[in-house]
Amino acid sequence: MSTLLTRTPRRAQPRRRSRAVGIDARPGFLVYGLLTAILLGSAYPLWWSFVMGSSESSARGDTWPPLLPGGRFWINVGEVLDSVPFWLALGNSLIISSVITVSVVFFSTLAGYSFAKLRFRGNTALMVVLVATMAIPTQLGIIPLFMLMREWGWTGQIGAVVVPTLVTAFGVFFMRQYLVDVIPDELIEAARVDGASMIGTFWHVALPAARPAMAILALFTFMTAWTDFLWPLLVLNSSNPTLQTALSQLQSARYVDYSVVLTGAILSTIPLLVLFLIAGKQLISGIMQGAVKG
Amino acid sequence: MSVTLSRPRRPRATKPETDAAAPDRASPSARSPLKQRLSRLDVKASPYLYIAPFFVLFGLVGLFPLGYTFVVSLFDWRLLQGQGEFVGLDNFAAVLGDRFFWNSLFNTVSIFVLSSIPQLVAAVLIAAVLDQNIRGKTFWRMSVLLPYIVTPVAVSLIFTNMFNEQYGLINNVLGALGLDPVMWKTEQLPSHLAIATMVNWRWTGYNALILLAAMQAVPRDIHESAALDGAGAVRRFFSMTVPSIRPTLIFVIITSTIGGLQIFTEPRLFDPVTAGGSARQFQTTVLYLWEMAFFRQNFGEASAIAWLLFLIIVGLGALNFFIARRISSAESRRATRRIRRRLAQLKGQPADRMEDHS
Amino acid sequence: MTFSRTTAVAGIASAAAIGLLLTGCTSAGNASDDGGDTELTVTTFGTFGYDDLYAQYESDHPGVTIKATNIDTGGNARTDLFTKLAAGSGVSDVVALEEGWLGSVMEVSDQFVDLNDFGGADIASRWVPWKLDQGTDADGRLIGYGTDIGPQGLCYNAPLFEAAGLPSDRASVAELFGGDDATWEEYFDLGRQYQAATGKAWFDQPSFVWNSMVNQLPEGYYTSDGELNIEGNADLEERWGWLTQGVADGLSAQQARWDWGGGKGFVDGSFATFVCPGWMLGVLQGNTESGGGSAATGWDFADVFPGGASNWGGAFLAVPATSEHQAQAAELAAWLTEPAQQVAQFEAAGTFPSTTEAQETLAADATPNEFFQGAPVGAILAERAQGVEAQFKGPNDSVIQENVFQAVLDRVDTGELNAETGWAEALKLTDELVDQ
Repeated sequence: MSTLLTRTPRRAQPRRRSRAVGIDARPGFLVYGLLTAILLGSAYPLWWSFVMGSSESSARGDTWPPLLPGGRFWINVGEVLDSVPFWLALGNSLIISSVITVSVVFFSTLAGYSFAKLRFRGNTALMVVLVATMAIPTQLGIIPLFMLMREWGWTGQIGAVVVPTLVTAFGVFFMRQYLVDVIPDELIEAARVDGASMIGTFWHVALPAARPAMAILALFTFMTAWTDFLWPLLVLNSSNPTLQTALSQLQSARYVDYSVVLTGAILSTIPLLVLFLIAGKQLISGIMQGAVKG
Repeated sequence: MSVTLSRPRRPRATKPETDAAAPDRASPSARSPLKQRLSRLDVKASPYLYIAPFFVLFGLVGLFPLGYTFVVSLFDWRLLQGQGEFVGLDNFAAVLGDRFFWNSLFNTVSIFVLSSIPQLVAAVLIAAVLDQNIRGKTFWRMSVLLPYIVTPVAVSLIFTNMFNEQYGLINNVLGALGLDPVMWKTEQLPSHLAIATMVNWRWTGYNALILLAAMQAVPRDIHESAALDGAGAVRRFFSMTVPSIRPTLIFVIITSTIGGLQIFTEPRLFDPVTAGGSARQFQTTVLYLWEMAFFRQNFGEASAIAWLLFLIIVGLGALNFFIARRISSAESRRATRRIRRRLAQLKGQPADRMEDHS
Repeated sequence: MTFSRTTAVAGIASAAAIGLLLTGCTSAGNASDDGGDTELTVTTFGTFGYDDLYAQYESDHPGVTIKATNIDTGGNARTDLFTKLAAGSGVSDVVALEEGWLGSVMEVSDQFVDLNDFGGADIASRWVPWKLDQGTDADGRLIGYGTDIGPQGLCYNAPLFEAAGLPSDRASVAELFGGDDATWEEYFDLGRQYQAATGKAWFDQPSFVWNSMVNQLPEGYYTSDGELNIEGNADLEERWGWLTQGVADGLSAQQARWDWGGGKGFVDGSFATFVCPGWMLGVLQGNTESGGGSAATGWDFADVFPGGASNWGGAFLAVPATSEHQAQAAELAAWLTEPAQQVAQFEAAGTFPSTTEAQETLAADATPNEFFQGAPVGAILAERAQGVEAQFKGPNDSVIQENVFQAVLDRVDTGELNAETGWAEALKLTDELVDQ
């Protein structure tokens, strides 16, 4: 019980916790041991890749892998940069993911707001259609999409990657679920009474209220766009790749030099790793809020 | 996590009659009929204008291609030569009679099962551990989520390397322990395990956080009361935590079904030389679709595969949805009842009665 | 719970993104002309050894930059090419075609320019006649300039031979296998002898041996008339028997082809022989080096090949009709296939030239190759090219090679299939995968 008494009251829900009897006792070594094991499981494959990526590729055959990195990381980084247009790929991925994110978030908020707060004929029916389409795997339309992009002459250009995912049914549904509860009808009413137009109301009332959900949706949309592989593989080519397709080329260029491949894997992870270290807390609360809300 | 649609509450302000008056009050001088009409048009048209971009774009890049896939599947259609003769349902017949199609379905389902069941169990356990009153919550949560930021392509490259049969880390270590190497690529079940491992590594922590959120939504007081009555942590976990997160579990299962049945990246990169192994031992359906369309250049049959897979996913999704709906509504009723009962019990009855319940 | 930072980041990113989208959507990723500068894209596969030649061409042609892509295997390069052809864009200005998929390229030969329009007819005498014929379509349009051909010799690991009590110098090894009368039976017998002495495997995996055997025949998977010719083909069945017996006797190291454990298989003594068309020499060297090996690993190249002269593979350079720089691309392709450049390519990657002049240069050249224990690789290949003839390649030759026989042999290699079940499976697969 002494642990309980010394607990800092700054923590979340201090009121309820302080009344706790057994359940909020500080856990013992078993729990921390488990957590450490999970941490190792999460981090080891990345660490191992870094170690192998910085060693001679001959280190790969060693029975027990080395635990510390070797000195070849920068040499292998050079190899990666020589083998694939890494910076172009990084830029492409950033552009593609950002454009998709902005588009999905904006159109989802707009449509979600309309579904959640505006009255119009067919609201419920259209919403049912939307929910039904959420389960539809639109990725399976790649063959006509491929022909469409050829028709438009867009293959090889990043526009071809962007267009098929400019909107998602999930995004609209997600924003609607959020906005239904979060904006009081009275607020909209008041804005209307003050003479604001419909779009003005959306802009000044709905958008500010939607911001937290927009941030969550943006995170997920960005991640999905960033990790996409099949579609860019089909419509882009190796001279204008995304990070993912460029990375896969490493495994299929010349002789498979695994140190270089693993260096590439690490290199491609760094941008998100940095973002994760800066905004990891937000990402976590985004996932947890999204879970409760969506 | 509810997937039920509550009807939106009607905002009274947007009723036409109130609305027509609104601008008048704001600017009494502008009582022009044109403005009134414009305002009414604004109210009437805006809702549609706001949802239009979504439906137009989604129709163009989402639904139209799916529909057109069906059209293509009715023709003899080649990658390079383009549209050929109309063949009716011949392509479907060919696909349904194609052992590789069934093989790919089996592989897809097998990899899906191997990746979803252990993953859910692990995610629940990890969430339970994270739900303890630990120090450094954010740190541990981040450590669990770390694999999520590694993209599937990078995950595939890393694990393909580890699972290499003759020189990979895992077989090296097995060898050092005096065990026989496992043929991670050439044998079917090990290859499925290897691919499932890639999926599990990336997603377990993510799902654990979702489940953790669900666990934290269980009112603390109930746990406390139960603990007061002497229910141990394990008992509380199974009798209180698990039932309360069931709706969330179902949500996780539905989303992972839709994604899991379309797995491509991992099996494609697991052996870059073949499309899913020499004996197609880990060729998934989307990978087979890719092979059919872009290697064998048969767009007709590839479209039939896409359409069949589409039907399967939608069918499973619908099934999941209805089961989930039924379970979650029944469950939440039962849970409410149970909690009420328990609270009532706690107030009026001696603590040792708790042991007889649940 | 603050979202301000994420929102701010998202805001900045989106502003930037919209700006970029406006330009990004319209600017093509390749081939951009600004101020007379031309960027030519080139796609090759395997080991082409062109890097230095690109640099030389660029410095000789100011205003031309070359952007090169290399794909690991012919199979993946084929899928890539056909996907891009179908997409109607993205095919490089100069693209390398492999002999094995020439048949399917010829079915859509109108998607490539007729090099005769760009001076191809004037330089036609460069090539050995059969190579020129291969690159010409049914209408007499010249689709591809020949780069290399694939005469085969035998690579072997000298220290491993020594350890097994076999002779290890080139001449004696050639003698050991039977010199000009070398046969596959002899090759497998020696393998069994080696396996008995060392307990180790003789070759890396069976599919390359099989490719060599098939390419050696006057007619392979197709008759010269273009008929599929597998079922009941006594020559193929006989070779299938030899090879599967060898696998059953433990002569295969069960390596993953085109991977060899990142080259480790060449270094750790897993297998002692390797079938080597000219272009494979570069593959072998590259893999050995990325596996941590060097010349000291002991790979050597003998002037002998079981079953006589054999040609496996070889490539062409073509210019797609979609190229925006057809004339310049054709010029580059013509330059790259000039005898002098073919010799340079040989020195970089071991690819054996397809022009008569370059072949003669190499025949007379006894420059020792350091990696291959000082073997006069050029002269040996020139010797091995004697008697090589073109084999007709049908439209599905590469599908049959890779998706039928290689796939089945992998399963024979693991013991899942044997000689009979494997052959039956191969026939069945051919039936399923090849539209006849």
